[in-house]
Amino acid sequence: MDCSKIEQWLSGYLESSLPAEETENVAQHLETCANCSALLVEMRSALSLCGSYPVLEMVPDFIEKILLRTSGRPRTRTFRERLNQYFVRPFLTPRLAVGASLVTLFLVLMTNLMGPRLSGAASALAPEELLRYMDQGVQHLYGQVLRADALKDDWQAQFSRFKNNTWNKMRSIMEQMDAPVEGRRKSQDEKKEKAPKEKSSSLMESSA
Amino acid sequence: MVGNRTETKEPRVLSGDSKLVERCLRGDDAAWEAVVKSFGKRIYNLSYRYTNRRDEAEDLTQEILIRVYQNLKSYRAESGSFQNWLLRVARNLIIDHYRQVRRYPQTGGSDELETMNIGDEKLPTPQRAFEQVEASQFLQDGLQSLSPELKEAIVLRDIEGMAYGEMADLLNIPEGTIKSRINRGRLELAKLLIKRRSQIGMQG
Repeated sequence: MDCSKIEQWLSGYLESSLPAEETENVAQHLETCANCSALLVEMRSALSLCGSYPVLEMVPDFIEKILLRTSGRPRTRTFRERLNQYFVRPFLTPRLAVGASLVTLFLVLMTNLMGPRLSGAASALAPEELLRYMDQGVQHLYGQVLRADALKDDWQAQFSRFKNNTWNKMRSIMEQMDAPVEGRRKSQDEKKEKAPKEKSSSLMESSA
Repeated sequence: MVGNRTETKEPRVLSGDSKLVERCLRGDDAAWEAVVKSFGKRIYNLSYRYTNRRDEAEDLTQEILIRVYQNLKSYRAESGSFQNWLLRVARNLIIDHYRQVRRYPQTGGSDELETMNIGDEKLPTPQRAFEQVEASQFLQDGLQSLSPELKEAIVLRDIEGMAYGEMADLLNIPEGTIKSRINRGRLELAKLLIKRRSQIGMQG
């Protein structure tokens, strides 16, 4: 059998999609022809290379960019991102670190100096009771903060939607004011101009 | 303009996609965000495989999705799946991009070293990483050397993993033609691999 004929069938043979008769022809040929079997081997490795082709991920900022240029609405944040944005990041400042260490130092000194006196007062309250009060206080505070955050978020979303809508409207009004044909020509001209500019800049670089 | 919240979530099948489009048309921004998130990555990677450059792929992806957003109205569920419609828009713009730039992507400026770090989080040993870069570099170079039709066939079938039927629908050519293009493309890649091995002096 002719090698060029076999070559036509190799891909189908690899995918086992050939009719029985042709499959047998190819198999017989491969037993005797070193060239064609080498081709088959390499075809297989080319396929596996294709399978491991790198996959690019879309970073959140990229998605945001696209959304702002289309619907105009910013990306929905995950809970973790919001937590990070409003709680974690604002508090991770040098000033806070210094403040926290000063407070700790103060508390340590206080308990050391006033320990004997405080112990009397503390014993009046059972430890469980004290813990319960503290827990209530913390939960109350946390709830307030969450509520404030939700309000802030809503307000932000509304504001950005308003801003983007106005912006889009203004843009469309501006576009309508230009004659559409002229606008198109302009954009084409710009694109044409772009290419030579890039070339000239690369030339400049090489000459420099 | 009111986004209908009572709709139940549906699996992403044909009808689900056309519902998504309907919601986008009604001005539901969350639905559009879902479209961008679920199809954007595919378009981004497709653009990257055609252009071989990340910056160009990003620009193209933006351009494609803006075009899709503007033309959502013209999508008809009767004439095929939303995904294929989207891919067709993408393909047209990618081909336009080719014509504008008037060149086929060059391998010199490709950013294959950068892309190595993307995709797999756990970095392999330096040796393996090097081999991986070398292999993917080879594939990128090899793909660029194919004619546009063969390259397209290989990208869609062997990298994107599309079915022959889908490809015939997308490219609007018969399945037989697609199969023969894929065979020719694979043969050329295989021959390049053989050539490379003989140059390096390794045994095949």
